[in-house]
Amino acid sequence: MLSQLSNGMLRSMGIFALTLIFSLPLGLLISFGRMSKNSLLRTITKIYISVMRGTPLMLQLLVVYFGPYYLFGMKIGGSYRFTAIIIGFSLNYAAYFAEIYRAGIESMPVGQYEAAQVLGYGKIQCFFRIIFPQVIKRILPSVTNEVITLVKDTSLSFSLAYAEMFTIAKQIAASQTTFMPFVVAAVFYYVFNLVVAVVMEQIEKRLNYYQ
Amino acid sequence: MRKNWMAGAIAAAVAVSMTMGTVSMADERTTFTVGFDAEYPPYGYMDDDGEYTGFDLELAQAVCDLEGWELIKTPIDWDSKDLELESGSIDCIWSGFTINGREDDYTWSYPYVDNSQVIVVAEDSGITCLDDLAGKIVGVQAASAALELLSEDGDQADLAATFGTLQEFADYNTAFVELQAGSIDAVAMDIGVAQYQIKEKEGYIILDEELNSEQYGVGFRLDDEELRDTVNEALLALVEDGTVAELAEKYELSDMVCLGEGILEEAETETEAVTE
Repeated sequence: MLSQLSNGMLRSMGIFALTLIFSLPLGLLISFGRMSKNSLLRTITKIYISVMRGTPLMLQLLVVYFGPYYLFGMKIGGSYRFTAIIIGFSLNYAAYFAEIYRAGIESMPVGQYEAAQVLGYGKIQCFFRIIFPQVIKRILPSVTNEVITLVKDTSLSFSLAYAEMFTIAKQIAASQTTFMPFVVAAVFYYVFNLVVAVVMEQIEKRLNYYQ
Repeated sequence: MRKNWMAGAIAAAVAVSMTMGTVSMADERTTFTVGFDAEYPPYGYMDDDGEYTGFDLELAQAVCDLEGWELIKTPIDWDSKDLELESGSIDCIWSGFTINGREDDYTWSYPYVDNSQVIVVAEDSGITCLDDLAGKIVGVQAASAALELLSEDGDQADLAATFGTLQEFADYNTAFVELQAGSIDAVAMDIGVAQYQIKEKEGYIILDEELNSEQYGVGFRLDDEELRDTVNEALLALVEDGTVAELAEKYELSDMVCLGEGILEEAETETEAVTE
């Protein structure tokens, strides 16, 4: 049972890692759109965030996976299942991350931009060398929240029949008619999240270079 | 611009995986993707080694061995079974799948198991017949044949009207845990699954009065009669060489397996008629 659950845990971690890799940069792009001077771009990203946050992730996964068939009549199956999960998770989490980035970026005082300009920094240079490092520092606790939620949300991928840990726990529970796999699953999730929390705390400490 | 680029990249990723998906769908069938509920012992479940097995899956494997296909076992969310089938991400639903009431919704294989829907209660609950269920809380699996029977236009709608509550569960294991915990009084389920459950847990009985009797078949897409015919032929061959009987015995389903009954004799008389 443990080896099967560990196997499932690896699959859950795969979803977790890939989602972070895609959604963190995508979230930043979306937050730029959300704060853009172009009102069309701003409206589009606003609607995007609103839809992604306003509908259940499970539903979004179903749409991403089955959508191509029902909308365009394409045949789906095989490897697309996992791809759909990663797309669904990334699009959803990017919306949340975008708002976290925006909160961080908008909290930076205008004086910093002005000072950077006086010192001869270009716009992009100013953002990536002065503003963004501070933004990361400020948003880390909120990001940690989302990341921990993501660990637990991986179990939603069962709606696309992907056998990650929780699915496997349910299947073992059904065949052995015991409750034990759920207890083990809970421990697995907790330990993994503990590791995530500790790592994030370490990063926070590292970044705390002014104290 | 940045956004456009992202959209392009995603579209490309989708397109690539899509083509990869289509390649295996080519005319010459090499794989056979079976969708099943992995929480449905003894028909489909995960064994101690983490492999998916069960009566239905082993039978599907035997069919594949005969046809030279590779069997792909895809555990599905039972609520999404029609989405999975219709979209082509699975070739059939082979999972203790009740034909009755769904005759026109799928292309069906020969029925292979005689099943009945029954009620499981705790031995000491005092419930001994269907009438005793009046005012009680009864559990049932979502999107299941038992639920169909008990729903408003089902055959047992009148009985269901006497229940206190009809509670839907995603899987039978949860329903059984609730039964043990006493939060529900009875569970309506397929007899094969019920027997598996009460074998594992003591203190539960199956009511003698059955809700109905019905048959299991393999469900294919409505336009997929060709595949259905191939599988049907293979199933009959497996009855003749004894594989089906062997599997039935292994999973203690010998009383229920009905594959080949009637059909074989019919086929034989037909051939006789032709030779004459």
